[in-house]
Amino acid sequence: MARARQKDLLFDAFIYTILFCIMLVMLYPFFYVLIISFNKGTDSMLGDIYLWSRSFTLENYAMFLSDPKWYKALVVTVMRTVIGTFLGVTFTCLVAYGLSHRDLLFGKVYFSVVIFAMYFSGGLIPYYVVLRSIGLLNTFGVYVVPSMLSTFFLLIAVSFFREIPAELKESAVIDGASEFKIFWSIVLPVSLPLLATMSLFLGVGQWNSWLDSAYFVQEDWLRTLTFRMIEIINKSNIPREALGAGATTSGVTNYSLQVTSMVVSVAPIVCVYPFLQKYFVQGIMLGSVKG
Amino acid sequence: MNLKVAIAKTNTTKQWPQYWKRFKKQWPLHLFVGMGMLFLLIFAYTPMFGIIMAFKEYRIVTGIRGIFTSEWVGLQYFREFVTDYRFGEIVRNTLVLSLLKVLFTFPAPILLAILLNEVRKMAFKRFVQTVSYLPHFISWVVVAGLSFSFFSADVGIVNKLLMKIGLILEPLDLTTNPDYFWGLAVGTAMWKEMGWWSIIFMAAIAGINPALYEAAQIDGAGRLARIRHITLPGIKGTVVVVLILTVGSILGGGLVGSNFEQAYLLGNSINNSTSEIVQTYAFKVGLADGRFAYAAAIDLIQSVISVTLIFLSNYVAKRTSGSSLF
Repeated sequence: MARARQKDLLFDAFIYTILFCIMLVMLYPFFYVLIISFNKGTDSMLGDIYLWSRSFTLENYAMFLSDPKWYKALVVTVMRTVIGTFLGVTFTCLVAYGLSHRDLLFGKVYFSVVIFAMYFSGGLIPYYVVLRSIGLLNTFGVYVVPSMLSTFFLLIAVSFFREIPAELKESAVIDGASEFKIFWSIVLPVSLPLLATMSLFLGVGQWNSWLDSAYFVQEDWLRTLTFRMIEIINKSNIPREALGAGATTSGVTNYSLQVTSMVVSVAPIVCVYPFLQKYFVQGIMLGSVKG
Repeated sequence: MNLKVAIAKTNTTKQWPQYWKRFKKQWPLHLFVGMGMLFLLIFAYTPMFGIIMAFKEYRIVTGIRGIFTSEWVGLQYFREFVTDYRFGEIVRNTLVLSLLKVLFTFPAPILLAILLNEVRKMAFKRFVQTVSYLPHFISWVVVAGLSFSFFSADVGIVNKLLMKIGLILEPLDLTTNPDYFWGLAVGTAMWKEMGWWSIIFMAAIAGINPALYEAAQIDGAGRLARIRHITLPGIKGTVVVVLILTVGSILGGGLVGSNFEQAYLLGNSINNSTSEIVQTYAFKVGLADGRFAYAAAIDLIQSVISVTLIFLSNYVAKRTSGSSLF
């Protein structure tokens, strides 16, 4: 018995050590860029910063916020995240509400159309041609319109709406409410976990997206934060040029600006997602079981 | 036979007004769903038909109509790709990157889930979980920036640390040397998605009957024995399904993030000989050089291989283990 207990302790020690290392590997990169972003750019180049900023400064952030290039990119990114998430959640739920009626005529046909579209795609080039033909290239719309319907969340929302008790809707039907009224003021308010999950995923998707900014947009004012980050990473990722390149009199370097933009891009996600985690784990399970 | 036809006829003639009545009653719902269908028609189905431009002399100025009106050129673009001087290298890079990523990143979430399951301190368990999902929500752009901060020869903290403790004299070009690209891509993919995919295995483990563990414990099974004889068999079905999904999407990068984003963001002009893959090449010749039909042909080859792979792996899984997607 004592030997078994000892073996158990060893086993525990082994597991906790590995998990602790994994935790460190996951967290430290974020912490590292955070302290570098608060460190004077020219000083960061000397290295040897591991646990805390050496010469603390806010000038990286001041530079970031005063540069119109970064400032505008931030505005566009926030706009597309807010508008894109709102449109995506509302439209996907509206279509899902229609599909969730079990006695819907042609229901099977509608579902086949959705599922086929989920598994097959035409690829990037024909997609580009379509966007070009309907005039979405080089507009703000290219960020928010094509992502209005998410087939994955459509199926999740359908199964979610089917669980809502029918009695809830019946009273509204008797009162003569229209289908849209029922959807808006009865179905949506009781679907908060679903809305939270969808908002998080669509929002993060919008916030992080760079492919559309790189592919479908040439206008400078439409560039997003992630696109600007690629530009600056490419600039400093040519060896032996990062040091000093772009260094101004203020001590802000290309690299410190890059790190600052990374912190700005990660911060909202880190702040929001722990609160929504409970919901999205449920949501993903629902999707993997029924989808 | 005649009777059947007659019955069918009367049924349909009876049903049509009923259908119409139902439709009239449901019309707002059909309006909602119809908008969704229209959306899919434009953004999902039109591009699917657009694939035929891979077989045509397509020029972008002709728009969508050009897809149908341009002249057929048959397999010309496919032949051109196969005889391209970079063909061998690009195909090799695509396959090696995909295989390495599956090989190393498929077992990682399973191991993590099993380890987490053995933790009895709930607060610690939950914290590790929360932290391990976090990178999934970060864009590949930031991950590329992070890997630059850690591994580059100039500012990379790893190089500076190694030099300080005297393991190396010269900084290693981890982010630019072609020899290191595959390792870099596999490592960052694992870092980003390991925690995320462990969710599904955690759920599978949670579904195992606790009585089995109790019974095994009474029979004297240690913790390793319980993992081997109860946990692993208990999640076998889930493992197979996830494996099918992985193999089916192997060319896109498996389940651990897109090959394209990695190769595009971590690749540069210096490590190009190992970082150029089919998708980045199609993107460059397609959108950057404006050779749309050629790029569509390259894209098509890849989709056909992917769809074949998913059916093949599904078939093999069904025959060998009984679990399958469809």
